[in-house]
Amino acid sequence: MTVPSEKWPKMTGRDEFRFLSDLIFTRSSGDHTMVSLRDHHAGTTRFANNQIIQNVDARRGILTVTVAFDRRHGSASTTDFTAGSIQDMLTRAERIARVSPADPEYLPPPDPCLFPIRETAKSETVAAGPVKRLEYANEAIGHCRMENLMAAGVVSSSGTAVGIAADNGLFGYEYRADAGFSLTVQAGDATGWSAAAHRSIDHLKVQERTLAAIAKAKRGRDACELPAGHYPVILEPAAVAGLWTWLIWSLDAKSYVKGTSPFVGKLGQLVVDERLTLRNHPDHTDLLGEGMTHEGLPSTPSVWIDHGVLKQLAYDRFTAKAEGIHTIPTLEAPVLSLDGLSLHSVQDLIKNTERAILVSNFWYIRPVNPRDLMLTGMTRDGTFLVEKGEIVSPVKNFRFHESPLRAFQHLSAWTAPMEAVNSETRKMLVPAVALPHFYFSSVTRF
Amino acid sequence: MEKVKAPAVEAGQYDLVLDPEHLSLTIHESCGHPSELDRALGYEANYAGTSFLTTEKRGNFRYGSRYVNLVADNTEPETLAATGFDDDGVQCQRWDIVRDGIFVGYCTNREVAPKIGESRSRGSNRADGWENIPIVRIANIGLEPGSATVEQLIADVKWGIYIEGHGSYSIDQRRYNFQFGGDAFWLIENGRRTHMLRDVIYHGITPEFWNSCDGVGDRSFRRRYGFITCGKGQPGQSGWMTHAASPARFRRVHVIRGEGS
Repeated sequence: MTVPSEKWPKMTGRDEFRFLSDLIFTRSSGDHTMVSLRDHHAGTTRFANNQIIQNVDARRGILTVTVAFDRRHGSASTTDFTAGSIQDMLTRAERIARVSPADPEYLPPPDPCLFPIRETAKSETVAAGPVKRLEYANEAIGHCRMENLMAAGVVSSSGTAVGIAADNGLFGYEYRADAGFSLTVQAGDATGWSAAAHRSIDHLKVQERTLAAIAKAKRGRDACELPAGHYPVILEPAAVAGLWTWLIWSLDAKSYVKGTSPFVGKLGQLVVDERLTLRNHPDHTDLLGEGMTHEGLPSTPSVWIDHGVLKQLAYDRFTAKAEGIHTIPTLEAPVLSLDGLSLHSVQDLIKNTERAILVSNFWYIRPVNPRDLMLTGMTRDGTFLVEKGEIVSPVKNFRFHESPLRAFQHLSAWTAPMEAVNSETRKMLVPAVALPHFYFSSVTRF
Repeated sequence: MEKVKAPAVEAGQYDLVLDPEHLSLTIHESCGHPSELDRALGYEANYAGTSFLTTEKRGNFRYGSRYVNLVADNTEPETLAATGFDDDGVQCQRWDIVRDGIFVGYCTNREVAPKIGESRSRGSNRADGWENIPIVRIANIGLEPGSATVEQLIADVKWGIYIEGHGSYSIDQRRYNFQFGGDAFWLIENGRRTHMLRDVIYHGITPEFWNSCDGVGDRSFRRRYGFITCGKGQPGQSGWMTHAASPARFRRVHVIRGEGS
């Protein structure tokens, strides 16, 4: 793993975290004591109306201790890592624990383990500062100015030291770097959008994504209105990620056990098209894989949906123990893929389509009915009518009512997994897909 | 038990009587966010969205009916945005957002207020912690009370639905096209609440919806509800504010069924 930058601000290192956690364990009177670290240094450059509107750099280190007496536990935090403040934090946690009721779901810290070592720290991202971010922002703004369009967006870079330790010997430390870019290009009422997230700031592909967003915005002008109803659709990766994020959130095991999950009774059964597989791939260089979770569990590769069959649920430790699950799978680096021949690009999907609505992205997806995972939301940043293998017209945005469990029962065509992220999703690799049926319930009128 | 066994709603046009808790979310999404001036100026175009309440509409746009008065009040004691002074150091104030149905005012900070010719910020600049930059935030915006009782609001409804609480919600990036659910629903027939319904979703266009308002309950029915997870800004921040309302009646609103819709 890359060593964190020694430049200011110096982030909390592995040895320093071990020293701090050992100090806490020595002084704690609890039956169990657990310490977590999140030392975050982030810079954000935002722009709108073709100019910079915000350029901030913040460092926030936070140490949290959880002390338990039997099943009564209390937590306290501090941003001051001096000995006196740490003692004060520990005293507060002990005091809270003593007056708290017993938590029937409390579990002692996980057993010590060897956490996998992942390439989470990219030196180019750690070293990036406001100058690099400004360079990328300027690139996006410059391209838009040349086209007489308006750019709004963000470039961000951050480094985070993450640690977890317990008095039973559990110890993990990881340094994570993240970079992000997103851009909305406005051409009158039309907008185009693109976004990227990566461990390496050098992999944001700012120029390529800016040109894509500009092309979308220009093509979206003078949208016509189509009636609401059922349509075949081509969903670009960001739109697929938006729907699958809600599907993934619904894999919660506690809801499954309680009977409120849309997957109740479906573990081990076909839930989507049998060519679809969802797996966790934390070692993939384009994903944001991690070595450990905030609970102190190792992150490992795992298969969640295997050829359409639901194989895993997302367990908290208590539910896992109650259900006899010994290895808790994680899903921080999702890859959705399909068996069979995939097309090369979205453009190829368009060429192979007789008639469909092309959706660039969705906005404000929210559940309507969690029991069948009925979702609503709107298309945004480029919605087009495709006929006979070509985009023939931009169309006004639609509101949809659809369950991904229903929409992804059968896919007509797809690409290989591609990078996808939007304003409400974590980074994923998902295909662009063609679906034969998708329900748009109303037209979004501006 | 009645809620569990309630029949699903039939899609169609209904008059709606909305309780204060339900209205607090409707106000937040369809009035609070579009009245943030930074949105209207395009600052949030890439993330939280923009606003259909563009600056040329201030002072002349009919946002709602004459019954609709939406007031920002960051001076009301025990409300979440009543912080004394905002993070610009500007004293908290009370001002009109919508007066007699006309859109008249924005939530502003010192950065954006001069851009629309205002000499003073409205004092709505807040950060959620020391490490984040203050941004324009929704004030304590509330629907001013009218003169009706809840019974009177319901009595004048032949075919409608009474809605309590929060449910599903989704609104476009300009805060113009919306859809809301709720927590509990009662069918109103010929001026009486008859039985509960389930899976009620209503949708509409923000100014059309507020222009369909033809009655607001009196001050004795006014209730306040706090919001503490209003997401905005990059890096993301949580905003705090209170929205107060008395029950209000809206005519001929489009209702659909949520389940299997």
